[in-house]
Amino acid sequence: MQPRRHRLDNGLQVVLQADHTLPLVALSIWYHVGSKDEQPGRTGLAHLFEHMLFQGSENVGANDHFGHLQRAGGVANGSTWFDRTNYYETVPAHELELALWLESDRMGFLLPALTAEKLENQRSVVINERRQRVDNQPYGRASERLHELLYPADHPYHWPVIGYVDDIAAASLDEVEDFFHAHYAPNNAVLTLVGDFDEERALRMVDDYFGPLEPTARPSRSWPAPPYTAPVRRFEVLEDRVRLPRLYAGFSVPAYGTSEWYAASVLASILGGGRASRLYRDLVYQRQIAQSASCYVLPTELCGTFGMVISGRPDTHVDELRIAIDESLAEVVAHGVTEAERTRALNTMLTVHWNDLQALEDRADALSMATTYFDRPERALVEPEHYRAVTLEDLRACADRYGSASAHATVAVVPGEAPS
Amino acid sequence: MSALDRTRRPPPGLERPFGFPHFERGRTTAGLEMIAFAQHRVPLVSLHYGHCGGSQFDLPGKRGLASFTAALVDKGTASRSATQLADEVEGRGGFLGAGCSWDGCSVGITVLSEHLEFAVAVLAEVINEAAFDQGEIERSRALRLAELERQDDDPSAMAARRFARAIYGERVYGSPQLGVASDIEQLSRSDVAGFWERHRQLDGSFLVAAGDFDPAILAAHLDRGLGGLGGHSAPPLPALDPSPLEGIRVHIVDRPGAAQCELRIGHLGVPRAHPDRPRLVLLNSLLGGKFTSRINLNLRERHGYTYGARSQFVDRRGAGPFVVSAAVDSRFVGAATREVLYELQRIREEAPSVAELEETRSYLLGSLPTTIQTLQSIAGRLELLLLYDLADDYYTRLPELFRQVTPTQILEAARLHLDPDRLAVVAVGPADELASQLHDLGALEVHEPENRPTAVLY
Repeated sequence: MQPRRHRLDNGLQVVLQADHTLPLVALSIWYHVGSKDEQPGRTGLAHLFEHMLFQGSENVGANDHFGHLQRAGGVANGSTWFDRTNYYETVPAHELELALWLESDRMGFLLPALTAEKLENQRSVVINERRQRVDNQPYGRASERLHELLYPADHPYHWPVIGYVDDIAAASLDEVEDFFHAHYAPNNAVLTLVGDFDEERALRMVDDYFGPLEPTARPSRSWPAPPYTAPVRRFEVLEDRVRLPRLYAGFSVPAYGTSEWYAASVLASILGGGRASRLYRDLVYQRQIAQSASCYVLPTELCGTFGMVISGRPDTHVDELRIAIDESLAEVVAHGVTEAERTRALNTMLTVHWNDLQALEDRADALSMATTYFDRPERALVEPEHYRAVTLEDLRACADRYGSASAHATVAVVPGEAPS
Repeated sequence: MSALDRTRRPPPGLERPFGFPHFERGRTTAGLEMIAFAQHRVPLVSLHYGHCGGSQFDLPGKRGLASFTAALVDKGTASRSATQLADEVEGRGGFLGAGCSWDGCSVGITVLSEHLEFAVAVLAEVINEAAFDQGEIERSRALRLAELERQDDDPSAMAARRFARAIYGERVYGSPQLGVASDIEQLSRSDVAGFWERHRQLDGSFLVAAGDFDPAILAAHLDRGLGGLGGHSAPPLPALDPSPLEGIRVHIVDRPGAAQCELRIGHLGVPRAHPDRPRLVLLNSLLGGKFTSRINLNLRERHGYTYGARSQFVDRRGAGPFVVSAAVDSRFVGAATREVLYELQRIREEAPSVAELEETRSYLLGSLPTTIQTLQSIAGRLELLLLYDLADDYYTRLPELFRQVTPTQILEAARLHLDPDRLAVVAVGPADELASQLHDLGALEVHEPENRPTAVLY
């Protein structure tokens, strides 16, 4: 089932994929704006703004966005990321028009409903969200500290998506309005529908609701050019109220979509994906100095971040874990990986790929992502081909070129006092 | 649609019928009860074996035995070591895992459908020939002990433990499912192997297969792989339900300097099989289950005390808890608790309006199909049919049960099953700051993070 794509005159990109398995439609909107569009000192605005989009618009009352959807049997949410902000709902198929009405109203007519009182309320909610996810979580500060060490202060991946409390506390209504004008418009968005609908009819409805909305003049932006990491090893120890030490290490790799990114992703699976992976087998299973070991690569636009998270046992010294990480990468550089390891990673990714295409909202999300970043929705359906193209030499080269110990940033969280 | 009227909600289209997807229920040739659900949208197969050997059968002195057994069952068989098993399953891109709830234990494997025969063979081997190798037991023991230590630092885990203790005391639900260190240290190979063997051989073991397979081919593989089960009867359940609390009991777990407070408020609920369950599902959704519930709109959207608050009647064979959970700004823990008690009282005093009940009902009914979009989620529901011995048409009839509930029944259910005057309030955070806000609610105890009471204030 190939997705169909269209572009409205105002620039809105529309992707449609019919699937009649269940009487449902998933709607996904990606706005190509995220925390990387913020400025140092004004962080958290994109995410705070996401919250404001659930506070009603000109024709939708304060709690009515969720209210309308839930009354209709719909489920909905939104999320903010470095490069994008998304909003999504899955509704019974006969309520597609409701979803289009709600999304078009807040894309086009948000500001009449925006008030200082709503902003204050959501500011409190977001500060509580940050405390719940970061400040009151053991190890909660570590991954944002890793990004702070890995990227220079003016690089947009330096600061956390949710922002810093002082910045969230300082965001003004004017800034929120400016953010809307700059970024929330049809020519900065992708709208994807997956599910039980007639394509022609659905496209007409989309055009009725979104066609009249005005495009915006998007601000011109320039991003730092690679390489992002100075060839300096950065290491920092954070004390926290924890009993198990944990290591967060990372290095920068090329952007999502490049062949190097896919190689990094396969390498992450070989080193830290599952019980057959190298770090798990070495540190958790054989030497028993770690509780868990996992690796990931963030699919981000300016560059990717290769991350490694190793939890130690209560009596493990973090230096043992640091050495183990360095050695595992050095081993790949010196001797490469085996064909069996590559095959395992590719097969795992194939299972995950199919798994993630099952739910309509997940497929809609993947189609929106491929359209936002690559202008090619169908690319979402052929991700495994990009992984399959990765050779053994690509994997060795990835470890050699990007994973050399001199370019790492590492944060060790060790037992001690809670951070203030 | 030239004159688009944006001021009104557009009318719904024609509703399309939805029914729970068709599945086949029967027995394998060897007598194992099974459900097969064939669907060919993606080339994956998911197999789940289960039985009722959950944490409900943990014994005093062996707390954590069920979950520890589940952690070990997929770590090697008579013919494949733990490492070989991981290499062979993951080498094919498969996922193998086992876990347990209070009510049952489950071993699952998901593979690309071309590996169906391999998956059946591996699953059968794990179920019938789990090795429980001493070396693996020691590895898992060390992992478990470290995980328990980690949880001592995790505020939401601390709150959950203390809450269970406050409601269930020494009963089995009062202990953590993962056990306690002193018991885990003592568990032997015969404890683990005996627990598995006892439950594996029972009536009540079952298999669910979901995904891209030909039922005849699956049956042939099963005949070769999964023989020799069944025949015994289930052991009686332990006494699960304690008596209700007297008054409001406040438990503060001290976490000096914490950035926020983890709050749990609640009391004993009802067993999963309670006849009031359909109305309790609606009651809970309206009160604290959905985003637009009374409790979430009050604590989050009106007051900004929290990122989110929710309530739940936890489903278990015995009476699970009714619990309201939120991570709140420590400065407002007293105010947030009083708002929760207010909502519990309010719903006992006045029946919800027809409109509010209708909203909740249409949300639950309308969103049903969204909960069965993946093989894993369908398999999970089919497992429940077998675990709780529910009728084949259980999911087909559920909507009708929801449709019958009236506002008066919600009021009756609230009066019967919610009690704001007899419950536990658990707050994990800076004791001084929390105690001054909560002490006038009822008897208050302050606990050190290790869960030992050290002081009684006020």
